[in-house]
Amino acid sequence: MARYLLKRILMMIVTLWIIVTLTFSLMHMIPGDPFASESDQLPEQILLNLRAKYHLDEPLPMQYLSYLKSLAMLDLGPSIKSETRGVNDMIKDGFGSSALIGMQAIAVALFFGLIFGIIAALNRNTWIDYMAMVMAVLGIAVPSFIMAPLLINYLAIKLPLFPVATLASWKHSVLPSLALAFGPLAIITRYMRTSMIEVMNQNYIRTAEAKGIPTFLIVVRHGIRNAILPVVTFLGPLVAGLLTGTFVVEKIFAVPGVGKYFVDGIFNRDYPVILGTTVFYSAILVLIIFLIDLAYMFIDPRIKLSGRGR
Amino acid sequence: MKKLAAFALSVSLVVPALAGCGGSSGTATNNPGTASSTPAAAVKQEVVFNAKSEPPDLNPLTSTDTTSFWIMDHLGEGLYTKDKEGNPVLGVAKEVKLSDDKLKYTFILRDDAKWTNGEPVTAEDFAYTFMKHIDPATASTTAYLLYYIKGAEAYNKGTGKAEDVGIKALDAKTLEIELVAPTSYFDKMLATRYWHPINKKQAEADPKWAANAETYISNGAYKLVSWKHDSELVIEKNENYWNKDDVKMEKITWKMVNDATTSYQMYKSGELDFNKEMPSDILAQEKSSPDYKSVPYYGTYMYMFNVTKEPFTNKKVRRAFAMAIDRKALTEMVSQGGETPAYSMVPRGAITPTGKDFREEGGDYFKEDPAEAKKLLAEGMQEAGWSTLPEVTLMYNTDESHKKIAQALQEMLKKNLGVDVKLTNQEWKVYLDTTRQKNYQMGRMGWVGQISDPAFNLDYYLGDSPNNRTGWVNKEYDDLNMAAKVEQDPNKRMELLHKAEAVLMEEMPFIPIYHYQQNYLVKPGLEGLTYPVNAFPSARWATKK
Repeated sequence: MARYLLKRILMMIVTLWIIVTLTFSLMHMIPGDPFASESDQLPEQILLNLRAKYHLDEPLPMQYLSYLKSLAMLDLGPSIKSETRGVNDMIKDGFGSSALIGMQAIAVALFFGLIFGIIAALNRNTWIDYMAMVMAVLGIAVPSFIMAPLLINYLAIKLPLFPVATLASWKHSVLPSLALAFGPLAIITRYMRTSMIEVMNQNYIRTAEAKGIPTFLIVVRHGIRNAILPVVTFLGPLVAGLLTGTFVVEKIFAVPGVGKYFVDGIFNRDYPVILGTTVFYSAILVLIIFLIDLAYMFIDPRIKLSGRGR
Repeated sequence: MKKLAAFALSVSLVVPALAGCGGSSGTATNNPGTASSTPAAAVKQEVVFNAKSEPPDLNPLTSTDTTSFWIMDHLGEGLYTKDKEGNPVLGVAKEVKLSDDKLKYTFILRDDAKWTNGEPVTAEDFAYTFMKHIDPATASTTAYLLYYIKGAEAYNKGTGKAEDVGIKALDAKTLEIELVAPTSYFDKMLATRYWHPINKKQAEADPKWAANAETYISNGAYKLVSWKHDSELVIEKNENYWNKDDVKMEKITWKMVNDATTSYQMYKSGELDFNKEMPSDILAQEKSSPDYKSVPYYGTYMYMFNVTKEPFTNKKVRRAFAMAIDRKALTEMVSQGGETPAYSMVPRGAITPTGKDFREEGGDYFKEDPAEAKKLLAEGMQEAGWSTLPEVTLMYNTDESHKKIAQALQEMLKKNLGVDVKLTNQEWKVYLDTTRQKNYQMGRMGWVGQISDPAFNLDYYLGDSPNNRTGWVNKEYDDLNMAAKVEQDPNKRMELLHKAEAVLMEEMPFIPIYHYQQNYLVKPGLEGLTYPVNAFPSARWATKK
């Protein structure tokens, strides 16, 4: 086990290093310049001064090495666009809000997704199943940027239950969390339904039924535990994605999260921000995938984690 | 379905309370201190704006964007400041002496000019600020605005010494500035935020002083009291300000809501007192509302020609294109923001010494006339020896509103001129690169004069301007602009600028499309906002009923 953990951690570091290297080279391949703007009456010398300030005048390999060096110290560097705030500040200030909304959305999606999926599977081909599936299809088909204004319009304007936007109190976080939750909720419902149907047709379930165990206990003890694995797999990227913020929902609800930096960074050619957000997201993704692999072991003891090939 | 939704909602209220434990290490979740989310009682002199985004930089030395300017204009004050009408009036300086050769300014500072921390504003603060601004190590992109000062350009470009710059603090309250050449509009420049002082002691102690409310020191009508990054910024009346009796609004809050529809909905629900930048569907809906306020903005939306690429090497062809566009239809049916059709480079809003508007004096430089345009095109083609017009591609940066205008232009050029143009678009930064390298024929651009003076629009097309992407260089134009720069008689200076604009519009290296307009919604009861032509409104003299 210890050996496995060590190997996994090493792999995670290598993965991150590859991501940093790829991002670094791709980013410098896009045309455009962080200092270009409509209003650049910039004399040559000022541009040179600027490039020197952000070490953009050094050869790329040098820039790459010094970035790796500061990254090892967990310093993501300055932002070119924001003179006074570094990438660390941006992530530190924004991650809390993003994570709050993200966790609430995951909780809602997981809770209702699982319940709807199970109910649909147990009532297969009845009106309940059809209704759950219609909802699931809607949830997948209606993007969050449609869902969000709808929620605002009905739950904040027409029926003033919640504030329109910003994140001043917990009450403000309800609508963005809901808007974020719908998509994943629908996907989880579908996954859960499919895998539950499969599990419920297994021989051991029939055996349990024959033994006279109540349906509720069969579902809880034997059904869910086996059926949940595909959902857990899907949770990895989902959790990483939601925790690190989403551009659209955060923009619509004016949530001060990190989501916008992913997009703005590229738009502004703010190199340290592009790298910083990518590294941040990858680190969380890699970490969560690792945790989920560990979780498999607890959900299904048949899965053994080992460093060797199986 | 309804039942389910109701159930989903009620549970969702409970679940997050649990989730909150894990993820609420962040910023905005627990702020018992700010009770401002409840609408203030009618008498409270407080106003809530939407800044749209986090102000990137509130440091006068390095700031370049309109969001930061909006806040900085309330916080700081230079040697000169602006009155309600936008005219430069004495600010921190109480007296100004100008030498006979009009090169040396001596400013005597007010004794009661103080920083927000109560310390006096000194000449040394100003000298430090201006020197830092042009210090190559600061790498300020607005340093060129200080090139009017003797020695500043050389120092900033690394060829001169700091000692040779014409900025001197003679004593605590006396500042001397020496210029390169007499500049009749120097007071106008001094009244802008690029010349606000920074507190020397603070700036030296903490280089990141401008990043947080706790360390921010200013000297103007307001002080920065709280700044929650990406979410809210609050300023309050500065009790140490020498002219505090002339400040009406007590407190101004800027929310940071980037989405235009959300911002509008917050305005509607009463969370904002003021709204700007509305999509055209909302504008159409609100145009007849009593809240609606439309003011000119000091900029021009245009299409540049690359005069080094066929067919725009030919002046007549350029003119034909300009005349074939129906700007009235374009602004009323397509852009729909109340913009004014443009037939010149300089927008309205620049007031000449005689008190008239530069634009009214100058008038329009050409008329739309499809028949005449066709004739010109034929003549131009003959001159250049083309039997068919070389293919034209019109380029714009990727954006829905620019796309709509480009499509309308395409249609108009086809209908009025019989020319088929192709459309292509690029993402903004790529677009800037492409146009700078002159890999385009006809491309969209917009320009807002940083100071409401015609010189700050006309210098866009100077031969050595880095902004000039057209390849058009005209000696007469450059000479007229240069002559205007050093002309001491303000009336003659305007004459020179009119002449320069006439040359530009005769040669037409670009097509003006429209002059910008800003459309706002102002809550009834909020009165006295002032609307500068190249900035967002000031709430200093506003009152709420």
